[in-house]
Amino acid sequence: MQTANASRPGSARRLLLAFLFLTACSAPSVAGAEDHVVEIANMAFSPAEIDVKVGDTVTFVNRDLVPHTATASGGEWDSGSIGAGDEWSVTIDKAGETDYVCTFHPAMTGVVRSD
Amino acid sequence: MKNKSFWSAIAIASMLSASPAAFAADAGLNDLQIAHIAYTAGQIDIGYAEIALKKTHDKDVRAFADTMLRDHAKVNDAALALLKKLNVAPEDNATSQSLETAAAAKRAELSALKGAAFDKAYVANEVAYHQLVNTTLDQTLIPETKNAELKALLTSALGIFTEHERHAETLEAEVK
Repeated sequence: MQTANASRPGSARRLLLAFLFLTACSAPSVAGAEDHVVEIANMAFSPAEIDVKVGDTVTFVNRDLVPHTATASGGEWDSGSIGAGDEWSVTIDKAGETDYVCTFHPAMTGVVRSD
Repeated sequence: MKNKSFWSAIAIASMLSASPAAFAADAGLNDLQIAHIAYTAGQIDIGYAEIALKKTHDKDVRAFADTMLRDHAKVNDAALALLKKLNVAPEDNATSQSLETAAAAKRAELSALKGAAFDKAYVANEVAYHQLVNTTLDQTLIPETKNAELKALLTSALGIFTEHERHAETLEAEVK
């Protein structure tokens, strides 16, 4: 049936459009991932606690004058030094609750919860 | 420990021949003098950190000193960049000179110590010094600053130095 329809130029175009439409529609669910932003400003992570899905990305944006880190307390991930005005991203690949800290400024803490 | 911090603060304040709030209470400080005082205060803490990095064997004290060096250098770089943008130069003054005189004595005292005694003295001084600087920024320097950009910079700096003060207090409880 497809072959027969495809043999007609009009049908082929419709098939292509349908394919493109379905591809476009399915892209978000295939990629699925969201990017969450945590701002580092006034010596604090904001929001300090976020809920994400496995596969999502968390981007830390440093708006302070001084460098910071975003370092998972269990060693799962570590940004290293994020300079003033710079950012760093991590893709969360496991479900669970991860506490993190700025190793330069231990009073700065946050939590990423993923499921 | 708390008592020691308190007396250290009093001792530093005495060296400046004033209470903490009077650290820069000379009436009529202008913005260029305030910028000089803030810059000098930062350089002094960098000096203490440099001594600590030569002397300490404690990883937490070393990490703290690294942060003091890194953060105060960044804040002072930002201050210099702002002054350059405004095309003005910081103005030396009696308060900056008093700060530097007191700091020279403290550097000599710290340099004569080693091991755990050094760590304790360095951290206690960091608590007292940040208390003094932060109180002065909050109660005197920031309220007296006229230029909005300098005021914003000093306000950001106060947020950073307040975290330093808490960090030093936490460290003080650990360094025994």
